[in-house]
Amino acid sequence: MSKGKKTICRLSLAFLLAVQTSCLESLAQVRVTKSLNEVSFLDLSGFRNGQDNASLSFRRALETDLSRSGWFNLSGGSRAEFSAIGGVNLEGGRLVIRCEAYNVMTREKLLSKTYQGEEREARSLAHRLADDLVYALTGQPGMASAKVLAISNRTGKKELYVCDADGGSLRQLTRDNAISLVPHWSPDGKRLVYTSYYRSQFPDVFIIELASGERRCVADFPGLNSSAAFSPDGRDLALILSKDGSPDLFVMDVNGSRLTKLTDTKRAAEASPSWSPDGQQIVFVSDRSGTPQLYIGGRSGGEPRRLAVGGSQNVDPDWGANGYIAYSSLIGGVFQVYALNPATGETRQISREDANYEEPSWAPDGRHVFCVRRQNYQSRIFIIDTLSSSCISLLQESERGDWFSPDCSGKYNKK
Amino acid sequence: MKNRWFGIMVLVLVCALCATSCKNRKGGRRAGDNIGGSTELGDQGLASRPEGELQILTSVKFDAVLFDYDSAQIRESERGKLQAVADYLKQNAGVGVIIEGNCDERGSADYNLSLGERRAEAARAYLVGLGVDGANIQTKSYGEEKPANAGHDESAWRLNRRGEFVFFKR
Repeated sequence: MSKGKKTICRLSLAFLLAVQTSCLESLAQVRVTKSLNEVSFLDLSGFRNGQDNASLSFRRALETDLSRSGWFNLSGGSRAEFSAIGGVNLEGGRLVIRCEAYNVMTREKLLSKTYQGEEREARSLAHRLADDLVYALTGQPGMASAKVLAISNRTGKKELYVCDADGGSLRQLTRDNAISLVPHWSPDGKRLVYTSYYRSQFPDVFIIELASGERRCVADFPGLNSSAAFSPDGRDLALILSKDGSPDLFVMDVNGSRLTKLTDTKRAAEASPSWSPDGQQIVFVSDRSGTPQLYIGGRSGGEPRRLAVGGSQNVDPDWGANGYIAYSSLIGGVFQVYALNPATGETRQISREDANYEEPSWAPDGRHVFCVRRQNYQSRIFIIDTLSSSCISLLQESERGDWFSPDCSGKYNKK
Repeated sequence: MKNRWFGIMVLVLVCALCATSCKNRKGGRRAGDNIGGSTELGDQGLASRPEGELQILTSVKFDAVLFDYDSAQIRESERGKLQAVADYLKQNAGVGVIIEGNCDERGSADYNLSLGERRAEAARAYLVGLGVDGANIQTKSYGEEKPANAGHDESAWRLNRRGEFVFFKR
């Protein structure tokens, strides 16, 4: 039964995830098959928690993570297909978590794990257990342990922030009183690259080491230095430089020892590079046709090909580890987020039409997309479930300010 | 956040990179962008950034050049503004200009950074075509980050699609 369950999940997700296969089923079939695997009832009543703050915080985070994963309904009661037992308690000043998960019908044990940590690690431990449960019960990676970079103007200037994938543990990373833009994680989640005006008053590219807080400039050529994205192996940056007289796409070693120019459009602008999962190709925006559109080029150069998709503008691509390119398309004056299979050219709209949706970033589960929802000139970050179409706010309503440019860590994590 | 962001800024610009940035493998650029029948630029990319703190000449003000939606073309109506800037620069040898390219709020913020740079560079090319030394011109894009008018309609947007001129003492 549990094997059967997993197979169904895998099969249906395959339509969304397995882009590399030559005879891919159409994206439309995701809608047809998703009801098969929509939600499983998971019984957490046998998972006990202490009444101390850390244990309560753990419990809240775990339940939020499991329901936000999209795979589980936690209020199943007697209908539960899965159950998780064990608990979280403070033992000698340390948080100890024991958890076993079963298939209720077959009694098959699917997970048995113990976690330990400091009280202050309660939330990150909950995220780890949530991801382990998602994987054990569905065979799919989770997104609970991901960190989200974002830009907000809540202080009056655009500064860089980071939070957990559930919107908690929000903290401000820069206090530059300058403009910070377009942050991207390194594949290992230990560094980030972004654009800031703080040092030279011009747009330069910086790398920040999260652990030490060290920040170094990696590109401050004349003109524009921006839109940098780490390659999947973490060794190179794709970025936009205008030093030759026009914004063009370059690849640069993170140590600055090699620089390769990939486009040479004197009368057009390039922007927003994102790497293919194998690191061999880059999708980017160019307005060489007169409007900003998506192009794919090889990482060593060559003539890029335009992706033939609808919409008067197609911008902000994010090439997921699932093979799909999420992007924002302007249709009838409104931006909507789409997922594109670059092998077949098939596209599917994944945002609702109740607002503008822009700047998509794939979550590490390959299922959710973080993006900006803009309505009445207010911008907030929302999480769209591409299978269920649910769309929820990342941050609490009470968090002030406009929020932009989400980037989710762990995109290339292998489970 | 207790981390020390103020910490050491290690500049990792290896000489090889600098060398690359100063050369243009394919030789000079083609005729200036968007200039109706103006001169060849023949320069080798953008000038190096000026060193040290810039002394901005806040009292020197010229009208911003305005652009059409999604365009970096210098409109005929804007050419007189660029002529005035060129005349001023040619008469004031010790003065340089930063052309700040800006966009309206519509569209991708990241693409608008590049579009703003294109606008600044189109204005730069026009000035060079009028005989201004490209070494005295810096370009800077603010994308959609620095609107001149905070409104949300075409009357605001048309003023925000612009190239501004900030003069500095060299």
